Amino acid sequence: MYQLKWLWKNLKGYHAIYILAIALSITCNLLQLAIPIFSQHIVDLFLGKDLSVNLANLETKRDLLIALVAGMIGSTMLRALLTYVSHMTYEYTSQKMIYSIRTHLFRKVLYQDMAFYDKYRTGDIMTRLTGDLEDIRHMASSIVRMVVESITMILIGMAYFLYLDPIVAFYLFLMAPIIFIVTRSFRKKMKQMHKELRETKAALNTAAQENISGNKVVKAFAREQYEMERFDEKNKAFRQKHIETTLVHVKYVPYIDTCANLLPVILLVAGGISLINGRITMGEYVAFNGMTWTISNPMKKLADIINQYQRFQASAKKVLEIYDMEPEICDAPDAIEHPEVFKGNITFDQVSFSYGNVEVLKDISFSVKAGETVAIMGETGSGKTTLINMLPRFYDPTKGRVLIDGMNVKDLKIRQLRKNIGMAMQDVLLFSDSVDGNISYGDSDMPEADVHTYAEYAAASEFIEKMPEQYKTIIGERGVGISGGQKQRISLARALAIKPSILILDDTTSAVDMETESYIQNKLSGLDFECTKFIIAQRISSTKDADKIIILDDGKIAEMGTHQELLANKGYYYQVYMLQNGGEASHG
Amino acid sequence: MARNTYGIDERLETPFSFAHFKRASVYVIKYRKKMLLALLLSALASATGLLAPLITQRALDYSIPNKNVTELITLAVFLLATYIISVCFGALRSRIMTVVGQDIIYDIRKDLFAHLQKLPFQYYDDRPHGKIMIRVVNYVNSVSKMLSNGIINIILEFLNMFFILIFMLFVSVELTLVVLSGMIPFVAVVMLIKKHQRKAWQAQSNKSSNLNAYLQENIVGAKVTQIFVREEENAGIFENLAEQLRKAWMKAVSYNTMLGPCVDSISVCVRGAIYLIGLLLLGPTAISVGTIVAMTSYTARFWNPITKLASLFNDFINNIAYLERIFETMDEPVGIEDCEDAVALEEIKGSVEFKNVTFAYEKGKNVLQNLSFKVEPGERIALVGPTGAGKSTIVSLISRFYDVTEGIVLVDGQDISKVTLHSLRSQMGIMLQDSFIFSGTIEDNIRYGKLDATTEEIHKASCTVCADRFIRKTANGYDTEVKERGALLSQGQKQLISFARTLLSDPKILILDEATSSIDVQTERDLQQGLNELLKGRTSFIIAHRLSTIRNCDRILYIDKGGITEAGSHDELMAKKGDYYRLYTSQMLEMEA
Repeated sequence: MYQLKWLWKNLKGYHAIYILAIALSITCNLLQLAIPIFSQHIVDLFLGKDLSVNLANLETKRDLLIALVAGMIGSTMLRALLTYVSHMTYEYTSQKMIYSIRTHLFRKVLYQDMAFYDKYRTGDIMTRLTGDLEDIRHMASSIVRMVVESITMILIGMAYFLYLDPIVAFYLFLMAPIIFIVTRSFRKKMKQMHKELRETKAALNTAAQENISGNKVVKAFAREQYEMERFDEKNKAFRQKHIETTLVHVKYVPYIDTCANLLPVILLVAGGISLINGRITMGEYVAFNGMTWTISNPMKKLADIINQYQRFQASAKKVLEIYDMEPEICDAPDAIEHPEVFKGNITFDQVSFSYGNVEVLKDISFSVKAGETVAIMGETGSGKTTLINMLPRFYDPTKGRVLIDGMNVKDLKIRQLRKNIGMAMQDVLLFSDSVDGNISYGDSDMPEADVHTYAEYAAASEFIEKMPEQYKTIIGERGVGISGGQKQRISLARALAIKPSILILDDTTSAVDMETESYIQNKLSGLDFECTKFIIAQRISSTKDADKIIILDDGKIAEMGTHQELLANKGYYYQVYMLQNGGEASHG
Repeated sequence: MARNTYGIDERLETPFSFAHFKRASVYVIKYRKKMLLALLLSALASATGLLAPLITQRALDYSIPNKNVTELITLAVFLLATYIISVCFGALRSRIMTVVGQDIIYDIRKDLFAHLQKLPFQYYDDRPHGKIMIRVVNYVNSVSKMLSNGIINIILEFLNMFFILIFMLFVSVELTLVVLSGMIPFVAVVMLIKKHQRKAWQAQSNKSSNLNAYLQENIVGAKVTQIFVREEENAGIFENLAEQLRKAWMKAVSYNTMLGPCVDSISVCVRGAIYLIGLLLLGPTAISVGTIVAMTSYTARFWNPITKLASLFNDFINNIAYLERIFETMDEPVGIEDCEDAVALEEIKGSVEFKNVTFAYEKGKNVLQNLSFKVEPGERIALVGPTGAGKSTIVSLISRFYDVTEGIVLVDGQDISKVTLHSLRSQMGIMLQDSFIFSGTIEDNIRYGKLDATTEEIHKASCTVCADRFIRKTANGYDTEVKERGALLSQGQKQLISFARTLLSDPKILILDEATSSIDVQTERDLQQGLNELLKGRTSFIIAHRLSTIRNCDRILYIDKGGITEAGSHDELMAKKGDYYRLYTSQMLEMEA
């Protein structure tokens, strides 16, 4: 029930219109019952058993005939119009509702922390925002209407029966408990089935999504056949679950339909005996007979309604999981309004971080003054990226503090904190948008000139200008169609373009050739704005000019100092230097 | 380059024709026996249903006037029996058709997916992945009802209509004509809205595809969005897309909703006309009362199937918009496929030769120009040069990810365009810049290179590429679940895993495209030692910027401006004092500065 309440809440602003839609569909139902009255009158007056009476009536009541026909046509057309308006109102309100839920969910998803993205797969999240929402929309636009119309019909039918003859009516109502028992067990079964069906559907989605994203690897290994087999499993599972679910539905339909068909049978016996006893007239019997559909038709819809309702519930449950989700990393209630632009003094104070039960960072402490450059080096998986992820609060330290300009990052407004950080990530992610749109991602009002300037800083302007439509060229999702080095340079330009007070470059030039790299190095040391730089790199050439070089080893700081100091130290840094500088240290 | 984004509707290249319909029927005809059976069962159910009024009639005419309660009850039992039989036939039909419906969409989805596997990179590069995905899942799901029960119902309703029409003709030809005249406005309405309706549903499918594309990109790129604090702006764009979808839906659905009330109105007009024409024009003397009563009741029964057909027609139009998208994807040219008389490449030794190869991604813009070189089996080749010079293109051509524009590429002396793709690619190990990790365990990911690899083989390959060390440190070692795209792994770790995966496939030709760029220097050195052992007897092409990686190669090709400008060993090229020399010394200078 809380799910229906939730639907109602999301219809906010459209409650009145939605109720209007319901009222209209009730009106249409009433009209549907009223219309036969016209034809009944026509038959009674002009098509009776006695031909002479008919002829006489046709002579004298010609106008009445025309009026009755006009009334029949007019009321049907009115009903047609009202039906249209009512259906469209249901559609309108349910679309407004879905819009509100969908955009709310999108915001929720965007603001989730990395722990969320580590847990939920893309295909799964997408299912919630598309397929699941479709089921919810269907509930508001169609199921509710079906229920309202069914209830109206049944109530009218019951009232009419009671008015005609309470005793026969009583016999007809005997079916109610049977129906109740049948539907109860049906509902329980369906609930479980829909839950499982929903899961196989999400699995199918995820499988398709991953295959599409990984299409290059699939081809590189000539694994098309294998992928087809794997997908086939999901496809089969989905088909199987779908069939099973529908078959449960199909299994119950005969019971419910039979219950509905019991009505005319009961009527035949109870009504027949009443007729024999003379308790009711033939006219009353015909009236009963003519109205049984008002109860039996809605009953026949019952199975379908329950089926759809269970589907709605399974989907709503999944949607609600995200709908009310709050990220763990969020603004503290008393977050400080820091001045717009940070100075960029940074301190890591005994920072440790664990992911699950693996300790990734151990007791990291160091300080950087505003405007300085810090280089971070270390083996693959030593925690370099994790360390810089602490700055924009992608993750929060398990122990210790990260301070910017003397303030704990946890006390700052996340929005403001991140606005001050420019980051070019290791796993370069561009969007299917123009080059221009990608570089100005951090500030879409950025002047064109800035885009060009920072593209030049990042050594990207040259190849961009060679593209078919230069800055307006659309690059594919994830930056497909351009080389790794080019992607990295666009991503660098994007980070520079927001003129951050803290610039983080996570292995940003690994796929760039050396000449270009040294060009970028030069440009970076002469930026037209002040910033503290964090540079993760493998090459000495990128790190040697840093004010501070940190060597990470297994999550701990192994060495720290300037180029000269670390060379003198003859540790990891020295070895790397020797390796890159001629290989004497290793191959000698 | 007509690259598509979330903001651009995908124009449909082919207009809808009956060919689509014919094509859909291929999927349906496969199940014709079952469908015929279902049709038969439905007919039986209706026929049994027709007995019910007869039984009631008998009770009212005989049993009740004769006050025969036993007969009344017997008849009631008969009535119940007919209902139960009818319901059972119906249920049986539903059972059959449920399976058929799911089988049909299973087949369509399977074919669609299989075709997607054949499509070239270009296809995936040119459009957001969310747009491909929506076709495989959502669209295929949508068409299931239409292609199974929809078809049966259409046939049934047509039969219904046909039989009632015959009955009507028996009763009164004149009045039947009156009833049929109602078909004229009906057909007019259908024709009038059909065109708009189809367009409207196409627009709706476009908008939902756009929304899906944007959604997918935002989920994948959430981290970038967050660091650039773009959440609100993106939410704004999404709201706009959702609003467009809402509007498109409202427009499309407004046509659908129109049809039912229109049919109702026309049907009531026909009934009114029968009364008026029957009574006023022909008069009760010319036409019997019974005729008119019968005709009005037949009119209702004649229009009933039409109402149902109208609603089926709605579904049909609506689903066509999806169906044509599905077929459009299936019709997408594969581009690179086995030629007709392709032969399987035998186990190769590993020589590679480019003969006058010219290549352009786009006509007129040659990336490679008349390139020729030959590599002997077991040779280790490094490709160096500025970014965008065409290094990745050269290696893509070896594995035939693209077809050469001019010239030929030979592997072991055989033109690669004449051998089967599978036999070619399965003998190559290709490690791309973007090391894609599937969700699953680390072990699963490595096993991707050789599906029947034993655990020992996997561990061995991991040790060789120095991945074993970090894998054992993860929470569950080789059984650690890595998430989609390898979240939680560093770029370098992903590269090591994909390296292990490539090695496991035991390729004769190994292609490493920036494969080790994110791996730290120490690990790379260890890796090199393992590799030296491994690369023996295998031809390898290495694209790298790190000179430490390049120096050990047998031959270095300097690629610039679409061709080879220098070739030779490290020492030879150094002596030559050309481009390579400049490149090498610049790096050395950097180091010493």
